[in-house]
Amino acid sequence: MTEWSEAGPGQPAMPYAKYVDIVTKRYFDGVDNKDLEAVLDCFTADAVLTEVTSNTVHRGREAIAAMFRRLFSDFSSIWHGNFVHVGDPATNSICSQFTVLITPVGGSELRYENANRFYLKDRLFHSVYVYMSGDNLLQPGEA
Amino acid sequence: MQYQPALARDALIELACKRYFGAVDAKDLAATLACFNDEALFTVQTSFTTHAGKDEIERMFIDFFNSWKTIVHKDFVLTVDEANGRIAASFEAVLTAEDGSVTRLSNTNFWRVRDELFQEVHVYMSGANVLV
Repeated sequence: MTEWSEAGPGQPAMPYAKYVDIVTKRYFDGVDNKDLEAVLDCFTADAVLTEVTSNTVHRGREAIAAMFRRLFSDFSSIWHGNFVHVGDPATNSICSQFTVLITPVGGSELRYENANRFYLKDRLFHSVYVYMSGDNLLQPGEA
Repeated sequence: MQYQPALARDALIELACKRYFGAVDAKDLAATLACFNDEALFTVQTSFTTHAGKDEIERMFIDFFNSWKTIVHKDFVLTVDEANGRIAASFEAVLTAEDGSVTRLSNTNFWRVRDELFQEVHVYMSGANVLV
C-alpha cells in the first residue's frame, strides 16, 4: 500500500459534498458552538494542525484538544462564514477561504479573513494548515 | 463570486502552475499578465492588500521582479475544483536578493478562473508581504 501523503495518490474519494460538509457542518459548526467532541471527531488520532503564519504546530488529537479548550475559554463568541471552497475528491483534500468573527472575553469583536488547507486520511482530517490575516488565535493549550 | 467553469482539471493546473509561475520565475512580465483578465483582482489576504485591474497588477509585478535577483516557486501541492473553476496550491517561494540573502515563504494561492484566465487571485503568505 502506498504511504499516505498530503493530496497523495491512491486515496479513496468521498463525494464532493462530503468534503464541504466535514469543513462546514461538522468542523466549523463544532468550533462555533464550542462542541469539543464534535470538533475532535473530525481529526485522526495523530493529526497535525499547523498555523502557518506563526509556524505553530499542534501534533496529535490531544494537543489539538488543548488548543481548542484554550480558544473556547479565551473567546466568548466565534463565527466562521462566507466560505469559498476548493474541493477535490481526486486528492482527498479541500482548501477553504472564509471570514472569522471572534470576540475575546471582555473585548471587542475581531474580523479575520483566513484560509485553511485540509488533507484527509480516509474520511478525517490528518493534516490541516491555517493561514490567518492577523495574530495567531490558535495558541497551545495545557494538556 | 462564482464564475462559469471553463477549464478542465489539467488546464487549470497548466494555467496556475506552468504558465503563471513559469512566467513569474522567468520574470516574463507579458506572459505573467497574459494569465489575468483585464479587471482581475489580486489580493494578499494576510496583509489586506488588493491590486485591482491589470495595470495595478503589472505595477506590482514590475516592483516584485526588480526586488529580487532570482524567484523560484516549487514543491506544489495542488487541490483542484474543476466543477467550480477554482484551484489552490501550496508551495515554497524562494526569493534571492542581489546580496545573496534568501527569503523562503510557505504560501498558499487560491485562483478563481473566468473565461480561461485568472479573475481573482488570493495569496496567503507565511511571512511579510512581498507583493506590495
